[in-house]
Amino acid sequence: MRLESFPRLAVGVINMKIDVWLYGVLSMYASEKAEKGFASVQLELSEGTKVGELLKTLNMPTEERGITFINGKLSALPGLQPDLNQELKDEDRISFFDHRSMWPFQYRHGAAMASGLNQILSTNPETIMHHKQKGED
Amino acid sequence: MWVLRINMSDQSYKLEELPEKYKLLYGRALTSQMVYDEVPPLCHALGLNNKLVFSAGVVTGTAAPTSARVSVGGKSPLTGGIKEANAGTAWGPDLAKMRVRALVVEGLPEKKDVYWGAKVKWDDEAGKPDVEFFDATEHIGKDVYEVYPQIFEKFGEKVSIASMGTAGELGYGNSGVVFNDMARRPSRYAGRGGLGAVMASKRLKFIILDAKGAPGIDMVDKSLFDEGRKKLIDAIRSHPISQPKGGLNSYGTAVLINILNEAGGLPTRNFSAGRFEGAAKTSGEAIFETNKERMGKEIYNHACSPGCIIQCSNTYYNEDQTEATSCIEYESTWALGANLGVDNLDDIATMVQLCNAYGLDTIETGGTLGVAMEGGLLEFGDSKGAIQMIHEMGKGTAVGRTLGGGTEVTGKIYGVKRVPAVKGQGMPAYEPRAVKGIGITYATTTMGADHTAGYTIAPEILGVSGKLDPLSPEGKAALSRAFQATTAFIDSCGHCLFIAFPILDIATGFEGMIQECNGVLGTNWNADDIVAYGAETLKVERKFNEAAGIGKEADRIPEFMKIEPLPPHNQIFDIPDEALDSVFEDL
Repeated sequence: MRLESFPRLAVGVINMKIDVWLYGVLSMYASEKAEKGFASVQLELSEGTKVGELLKTLNMPTEERGITFINGKLSALPGLQPDLNQELKDEDRISFFDHRSMWPFQYRHGAAMASGLNQILSTNPETIMHHKQKGED
Repeated sequence: MWVLRINMSDQSYKLEELPEKYKLLYGRALTSQMVYDEVPPLCHALGLNNKLVFSAGVVTGTAAPTSARVSVGGKSPLTGGIKEANAGTAWGPDLAKMRVRALVVEGLPEKKDVYWGAKVKWDDEAGKPDVEFFDATEHIGKDVYEVYPQIFEKFGEKVSIASMGTAGELGYGNSGVVFNDMARRPSRYAGRGGLGAVMASKRLKFIILDAKGAPGIDMVDKSLFDEGRKKLIDAIRSHPISQPKGGLNSYGTAVLINILNEAGGLPTRNFSAGRFEGAAKTSGEAIFETNKERMGKEIYNHACSPGCIIQCSNTYYNEDQTEATSCIEYESTWALGANLGVDNLDDIATMVQLCNAYGLDTIETGGTLGVAMEGGLLEFGDSKGAIQMIHEMGKGTAVGRTLGGGTEVTGKIYGVKRVPAVKGQGMPAYEPRAVKGIGITYATTTMGADHTAGYTIAPEILGVSGKLDPLSPEGKAALSRAFQATTAFIDSCGHCLFIAFPILDIATGFEGMIQECNGVLGTNWNADDIVAYGAETLKVERKFNEAAGIGKEADRIPEFMKIEPLPPHNQIFDIPDEALDSVFEDL
């Protein structure tokens, strides 16, 4: 699937490819659903595109997503999204999960995290042990 | 309250008053204490002196939500250490309602070729339970799915049944104790550590409970219990993971497959990589969508046991709409999927069903087959070959008996150096090199590699999170200790461990759980008390293991994880031994 299927953002020259994985109900944000329970989309975007801008390209409100990974590093949790301004790079793999998905702290403690969540863990660890609910601050 | 002793040396029983010192011990706390008190740590796990102890939790048998757990304890033939495995089943409440705090199976008959059943029923006139023995030899060597309907037909549909399969009869380290689910399937396993073989060693094929007329649970303060129960129900019903049509009810525990795969922490092809290209096809989402396609409607999961309002247990259907199996857990679809390089959900379902039918633990089976594939027995990805090997295990062929010894034994026999096991028990579905915190728990729990030993519960209340950097090895060690202690409490209170998800986030749910227990027992426990309760259990278990020759040197992760970087993050397990030793230093 190509970027043509999505509204184009005027952010410069298209020069990077991003591998986007949409799990569970979020697979509806892919223009065609290829597999059972998920969709995998290759997007061509301009360098410097941020996670928040990618979400707009997908027409996916950020509150619809919960757990998010960038290259296998946890970048967001339900209600905790310090990754909106993170810039994507060529060949990044970004994966979005819906609010039915979970990753209990005991099964992610010590796993790789993007810088935003790492910062929260070192300053306010209790926040990150929890699974916040949709719509919560 | 009684301790019911079933002596298999002469098929007799004895009903004893519960000793005062066990008054507040239930579930895992009691099975571990009794194993410590009564089983010589150096005895042979399949010999005369081992015992099998069953105990339900504090609130099991009450109207508390999601609380039908029963613990099974003994010395493990797999690890050589203490073992507690638990399951959700009507068998737990039935035991509790007859006021049997602990059912202890002991002794060993001289005749090896006769198996027995024990039927425990409530004797209304005498006001206590009694036991009848019957010859069960005709049910040996059979698929438990064939046997259970016959037993229900003979004893009535209201009874509940504990048993084991051919894996137990063959004496495998990989053999579970099985209980019936709500649909009377023999599918709820206290699966880990070979307790099925302990039961079979005593030539006890069935323990049948008929609680008709039993008095039920006595409560000191019913209104306090009711208050706590309501809080816990509200917490479970409002949390996105545990609520109706939430994560667990929709996708089951296999909701974790895609998450761990994206995180690079899904052990793949015998722990040689952390991401499996076929993972999404084996996930909870895929199970849900496949069922929807085949059955023409959305199918949400069901309760495995009475009173469960989380209802995470799935059924997977064949193309012709017949039932393939129930249930495909996260651990099972991983062990028999990604870990073997298999992405065919129908074949995974077949393997899960066969493990249940033969009495094998799905985690240990997958771990074993992964090592055997690495050793050249089969190619990775050969699901038909794996199915054949599970048949061989169940039927007790020469190669099958080899594999029945479990992951570590199989590694030795096939000369494999990448053997994912701790204390002889195969590792579950979280890669310690990618998720270091779980590695600490795998290494240090008394149970051998166990993913259910350290659930995150109330870190604020435990007072551990603010004091130490959770990213440092010391911080991780402190958290693991606190989590293991609270988990030992939940394993004793009778609730399913999955109430940990809502009570972690909803403080009133946590209060509710404690109030329920205080209501039943008349205690005045607070959060500190329950951590101390769990810590006592851990101490007893560690003392047993030390006396069995399993000291802190065994609290280690396999060497290959310290030297082989795991893709995609290319990390090794780098938690120093001192940090592992510090987990229980101050216990």
